Amino acid sequence: MTTPPRHDIALFFEHQFGTSPRLLEGVLGSAVLSPAVDDADLYFEYTVREHYSIEDGIVKKAGQDVSQGVGARIVAGERTGFAFTEEFDPKALTRAVESARRIADKSGNSAPVSVSRPGRPASDLYPVTDLTLDRPVPEKIAVLETLDRLARAENSKVVQVMASLASEIKTIQIVRKDGTIVADRIPLTRINISVIAQEGDNRQTGTYGWGGRTDFGGLVTSEKLSHAAREAVRQALVNLSARPCPSGTMNVVLGPGWPGILLHEAIGHGLEGDFNRKGTSAFSGRLGERVASPLCTIIDDGTIPGRRGSLNVDDEGTPTQRTVLIENGILRGYLQDRQNARLMGAKSTGNGRRESYAHPVMPRMTNTVMLAGESDPGEILSSLERGIYAVNFGGGQVDITSGKFVFSMSEAYYVENGRILYPVKGATLIGNGPEVLTKVRMVGNDMALDTGVGTCGKDGQSVPVGVGLPTLRVDGITVGGTH
Amino acid sequence: MKTAIRDFDSGREAVSHILEAARRAGATSADALYVWTDEENVTVRKGTLEKIQASQSQGLGIRVFVDHAQSSISTRDLSRSHIDELVARAVAMARHTAADPYAGLPDELLAPAADPETLFPPETEIPTREALFERARLAEDAALRHDPRVTNSEGADCARSQARIVFGNSLGFLEGYRKSSYSLSCSVIATEGDSMERDYWYVVGPLWDVTKDPEAVGRKAALRTISRLHARRIPTGSFPVLFDPETARSLIGHFTGAISGSSLYRNATYLKDREGTPVMSEKVTLREDPFIPGGLGSRPFDGEGLPTRKKTIVDRGRLTTYLFDTYSARKLGRHSTGNAVRSLSDGPGVGVSNLIVTPGTKSLEDLVEGLSEGLLVTELIGFGVNTVTGDYSRGAFGYWIKNGTITHPVSEVTIAGTLDELYRGIVEVGSDLEIRSSINTPSLLVEGLRIAGE
Repeated sequence: MTTPPRHDIALFFEHQFGTSPRLLEGVLGSAVLSPAVDDADLYFEYTVREHYSIEDGIVKKAGQDVSQGVGARIVAGERTGFAFTEEFDPKALTRAVESARRIADKSGNSAPVSVSRPGRPASDLYPVTDLTLDRPVPEKIAVLETLDRLARAENSKVVQVMASLASEIKTIQIVRKDGTIVADRIPLTRINISVIAQEGDNRQTGTYGWGGRTDFGGLVTSEKLSHAAREAVRQALVNLSARPCPSGTMNVVLGPGWPGILLHEAIGHGLEGDFNRKGTSAFSGRLGERVASPLCTIIDDGTIPGRRGSLNVDDEGTPTQRTVLIENGILRGYLQDRQNARLMGAKSTGNGRRESYAHPVMPRMTNTVMLAGESDPGEILSSLERGIYAVNFGGGQVDITSGKFVFSMSEAYYVENGRILYPVKGATLIGNGPEVLTKVRMVGNDMALDTGVGTCGKDGQSVPVGVGLPTLRVDGITVGGTH
Repeated sequence: MKTAIRDFDSGREAVSHILEAARRAGATSADALYVWTDEENVTVRKGTLEKIQASQSQGLGIRVFVDHAQSSISTRDLSRSHIDELVARAVAMARHTAADPYAGLPDELLAPAADPETLFPPETEIPTREALFERARLAEDAALRHDPRVTNSEGADCARSQARIVFGNSLGFLEGYRKSSYSLSCSVIATEGDSMERDYWYVVGPLWDVTKDPEAVGRKAALRTISRLHARRIPTGSFPVLFDPETARSLIGHFTGAISGSSLYRNATYLKDREGTPVMSEKVTLREDPFIPGGLGSRPFDGEGLPTRKKTIVDRGRLTTYLFDTYSARKLGRHSTGNAVRSLSDGPGVGVSNLIVTPGTKSLEDLVEGLSEGLLVTELIGFGVNTVTGDYSRGAFGYWIKNGTITHPVSEVTIAGTLDELYRGIVEVGSDLEIRSSINTPSLLVEGLRIAGE
């Protein structure tokens, strides 16, 4: 499949869709016609995706998607006009802009705009040369067959193995109101294995996934495949011996890595600029206030090389950055896109993201991480008199306004006097975002990023994200068990 | 409405071309789905226009077989040269996948079960952007004026969608239908003291008429929101839980996942080997009806071109049938139940059209009055549902009931149990059935779920 090298992106779009600089100048000029227009952009996207899956030992699904389109956006104050087209002719493009433009009430004449050459992101967080997409199909099928074989060989209780490999390369070109053009080429690969183990009538699942914006060769090594199969099977076997989880408010120790989904749900969403501009978040108007224990410093960092949540530039062409959200327990910042930043008198933090050309931009997280503390993880666990040690999670959700959030454990243990007694069944934890981090008693020195599996949903749009967390002790969180 | 697409005059022509291109490229069989949509969505916040989204979109989903090996592709580029190249690549890719004796098109070519032209109401005049704006504005205005405690808004949204769907396969099936949907929703914030809560209400349906009373939508959003103010936790314990129709719908949704043929052959459901046995309380009868005129899930044929049909899935608690598409049916020695679903980039898989739980005789008020203690649930959050193990644990919002009356709103609690206990523990089915979605159920009262709170 054709994917352009980074320096040729403008030529690629010009060739693919006939978007000459003159056409862009004309279209953009008609968009920026009124002084009421604060911002406008055209977002060109060409994405090729590929996916393979195995179940019952057979790679029976292989597929590819080609997705292409242009999203046109006009912003005036708090208003946004948005339209997109998948037809790449000047008329369709002009029609999309016309449609988006009507939001800016007033009519006027076209303003002259001159389009500059595409800017290249200053640094490249994903200089991938070994694209998953470019590898021969049999190699990718072999990855899944290997995972299947390894997992079945691991234990005879494994009755089903489902594995998948998905990869994409997204090529974008953002033409901004002032005529600057920003282009990027964004690779992403994710591999996942899910097993079912059975003992009598008891059936349990275990999963493991990994990926990022990296070379295929780095993601697919025999060590990584063995580790993934072993982990998925181990988790399913642990769950076979799990007992009903207790219910009620108790103290909880979270393991490092993916349990950082706590930050994403409890804190991250509530700090997104749109909710705070509108005053609908439980965190609205609380900058400078204490919202967490002094042990907690939390950042959103889109600049970690190769990570699933990282981007050279966001979907408005703003370079991503490391944004401090909470510093030693004090609320320091929000996550902003251009529109919400402007309306709040702030600067974009490079968090303007969209799922595709067909979706409008919103403030979104990238990689949301709590920095390491000083406690030894072993000491944290042994400090727990009675409670839950949760090492793995499924998904979570939050009510931005009331601050109530949930996330669901997929591997957890009951602990007494610092000793793990037995595994407990999956259960949902519920808490109050602005409160939960004030109950953090200990922060481990073992910060770990997740393995590259996160997808965040907001307003029907999905974008890849990351989280990171050290071992954490939280006193008093509600555990939704069955006894 | 103009639906001409790049290099083709119609979806039918595009689908026919693809099937022919697949044959030429060496595919032994193929199918293709074409979807065209025209959508507009207007958001009003605090009385002024906040967002307009407009689009015309089209796409193709194609599946090719080389004997029993398959691959699939989807694209938004409808030029002949691109499609021909993609189809050739798909055929090449299929040669790399393993032969699966159960994979393939359905065994036979059958006519749709209903005339596509009569299944959906005739399209009335498409509302203008101004009309969408006005309905959204009226809804939000009614919500903001309803009560001084409604202090802020996430806005009201009015949307329309017109779609054309064409499906064909190399057995000779080639049919299409059109579908419209309209929706109006409103979400507001209420504050009092240090309590801040948000809730919403919405209507959705096949006719513009569904949005005709925007003030009612706004008032209901306001009412739901202010009634949540000062929500608090309740003590941990086991109590009856009354799911309102909105939350009861999710329970029926989890159930359909657990009885799908694809979960069965994967060993991925707690309801394996339960056909013909009680899986819900005898108070529950669940039917599927693909032919509700204009129903959100209505369809004349399924995702593989097989005729859809009415069926009783649960008869007074007993599971009468699992749900199958062609693949899962073949694998398990059964026949398709016309439950294949297909999207552009995925499928076919197993899904449902419209589901209806037969209503009982007691209103929601009667059910509340009958409880000495319990929780009325109006919103559920989180993903703590596992149909493999049947374990259930989700975050809940709702109202505490004491001696037959609602005493206060409740939040930051979870409800947990197993799906089996939950469905078999349904002691009452309400009379408050309203067809407003593809899954439709009255309120459901479940005995003895675990609530975790203080």
